[in-house]
Amino acid sequence: MADEPKAKIQGLPVLKVTPPEQIPDTGLQLEADVVIIGSGAAGAVTAYELSRSGAKVVVLEAGPHIPSAEFREHTPTAFETLYQDHGNQVNTTGDMAIFQGRCVGGSTVVNAAACFRVPNQVLRNWAEEHSLENLSPEALGPYFERVERNLSVHQNEPHEVNYNGRLLIEGAKKVGIPAAPVSRNIKDCALTAHCLSGCKTDRKQSMLVTYLPWASELGATILSGTRAEKLEVSNRRVTAVVAVATDASGRQKPVRVRAGLVVVAAGAVQTPLLFQRNKIGNSSGQVGLNFACHPSLAVYGEHDKDIYAWVGATMTSCAGDFENPLKGGYLLEAGMIGPVSTSVGLDGGLGSDFVEFMENSKKFQSAVTLIHDHNVGRVYLDGDRKRIEYDLDDRDFESMREALRGTARIYFAAGARRVYLPTTRRTTIETADQVDSVINSLKNGKHMYRLTSYHPQGTMRMGADPAKSVVGPDGLCHDLDNVYVPDASLFPSSLLVNPQITVYTMASYISAQILARG
Amino acid sequence: MIQSAAGRRVKYKLYRRTFTKLSVLSGASVLVLPACASDDSVAPTGSVTLTSDERELLERFADVYLPTDGTSLKPRGEVPVVDNIEHALSLMDAPTRDQVRIGLKLFNYGSILIGLHFVRFVGLSRENRLAYIRRWEDGIEMQRGISTVLKKLVCYGYWKDVEAGRAIGYQGPVSEPAGVVSLGNAPMPHTSG
Repeated sequence: MADEPKAKIQGLPVLKVTPPEQIPDTGLQLEADVVIIGSGAAGAVTAYELSRSGAKVVVLEAGPHIPSAEFREHTPTAFETLYQDHGNQVNTTGDMAIFQGRCVGGSTVVNAAACFRVPNQVLRNWAEEHSLENLSPEALGPYFERVERNLSVHQNEPHEVNYNGRLLIEGAKKVGIPAAPVSRNIKDCALTAHCLSGCKTDRKQSMLVTYLPWASELGATILSGTRAEKLEVSNRRVTAVVAVATDASGRQKPVRVRAGLVVVAAGAVQTPLLFQRNKIGNSSGQVGLNFACHPSLAVYGEHDKDIYAWVGATMTSCAGDFENPLKGGYLLEAGMIGPVSTSVGLDGGLGSDFVEFMENSKKFQSAVTLIHDHNVGRVYLDGDRKRIEYDLDDRDFESMREALRGTARIYFAAGARRVYLPTTRRTTIETADQVDSVINSLKNGKHMYRLTSYHPQGTMRMGADPAKSVVGPDGLCHDLDNVYVPDASLFPSSLLVNPQITVYTMASYISAQILARG
Repeated sequence: MIQSAAGRRVKYKLYRRTFTKLSVLSGASVLVLPACASDDSVAPTGSVTLTSDERELLERFADVYLPTDGTSLKPRGEVPVVDNIEHALSLMDAPTRDQVRIGLKLFNYGSILIGLHFVRFVGLSRENRLAYIRRWEDGIEMQRGISTVLKKLVCYGYWKDVEAGRAIGYQGPVSEPAGVVSLGNAPMPHTSG
């Protein structure tokens, strides 16, 4: 289905997606050189790079294809239609929302467009701890440059930094914390602040408007609503992927793709689950382990004047020593979305307190914190139910407190008269003098904070040692001769920064390894 | 009814034990909205109808949590808060939804279990309902989780309404009202390397 008539009119690449409704009831049998599971950051880049080499590529996407013209710029509707589990994905404890896109284009459709390269310190650690000397900043540099060029990545210009973003930079400078406008993959941003609901006017350079239409133009076949379930294995090779396409009426149709090469790019939750369901690739026992996710907290600073943090670009500026994640560095990102997120992001109190909190929300300075968390979680199947076991580690809680301290200091320096912390029960800091005492009194525990994660990673660890990792330095599974994993699940440790550009880059790098292998 | 401090301590211990048991019985206690933990293959089971008890609980909770009368907020009575919550629950897989519903029941009947009151939450005075929620906010893990679920459900149900957002200065959808046009798909890149 070619559903982008505007692209045809303009002579631009057209994204053709086959929905389940167009698959015969008897099912579909396909032959390809490569079958790719997942159409998000990793799957889309791999699909394009391999199609460009002349390979016949089939992409299987479990989520629906929702063209941008149908985006509503309404957060609840976006959760219900574009996100994994309709926005209901949480950790096993139930105190952290884990957001992932579940649609053609994956999380790239619903992210905030923030672009950071993985800090060099993290790459050095990967080399030292996991023998990944091949992933040096110098080696990856050309791949970063290429995806950044392809996706129009640029640092926000002055008009793309709203008042909220400027306040973060000004406050950070006053307290000696580095700060700058963020870089984003966006062209002529319309400043609607609706990135997380999908960019209706195709300014965000997500996979939906870039690598997927490019792959499609080169002949890749893309099936939506088609969920890979079984990997047929023979002699260390996956010979076919068996999937189920489910149409709007719930009718299920079998899809089988035979291919010489299999790329699993379903993300850090679904990729390990697929391996576990098929009981493959796990001689190391590491499949599903080492889950990390950048647990994130929203912090608001109330000012006397109106800020309207939700007007303008979704993400505008950042602060923190994020080049040094291994030394406790953290990242603060200025941004705010609609009232649903504002009201659930932290506890504004009860009754009249809560009403006043929401009435004053246009006066809020807003940012979220990111930390370099340890890989303490795991993803596994409990019967037919997925579990994402992850609780904030005490070491990471210290990083979290440091991030909260930094945020509160910045807010007061910027002129805030009160800071709201993201605890289960309303907690405020009324003066700059109270910052340390209030934050030092916070304790780690379950259901204590309003945690959110946008960056699942780490469950298919990359490394040179097959006894300690699932995927080798070139992205090939240690246990299988024709299965590659290019998504965020291969990161041996968390990045601290938003991972999308690093995922695109790793997928480009791994595509090059695949092509070099022949 | 006035109780002795010692009597309250005994009842509180009993209440804690009861809730700990219930927590174990209800599995991993995925009691926060969003609160789904199914594998992809477990699809939502379709529409759900809240019971009258559940609707009353949500209404009474919203009544003290988000009192819009006399404020600049859109009157809560003009927003289908509970219907919106019902829709949100219909998008959860059945096991998760069941856990949420158990949580609602625990919250409602907890006022009896705790021994401080002899009526359900919905029967408490406004003042006592507020005090009750505060105790749950500071309670054991499961109480904190359930009270947070209720707050998130009400927030979701209320702020889903676009006009409710406009009342606090939120702009809502932008592109169509402002006539922002699509740029379409990006041209093929000219990279060679």
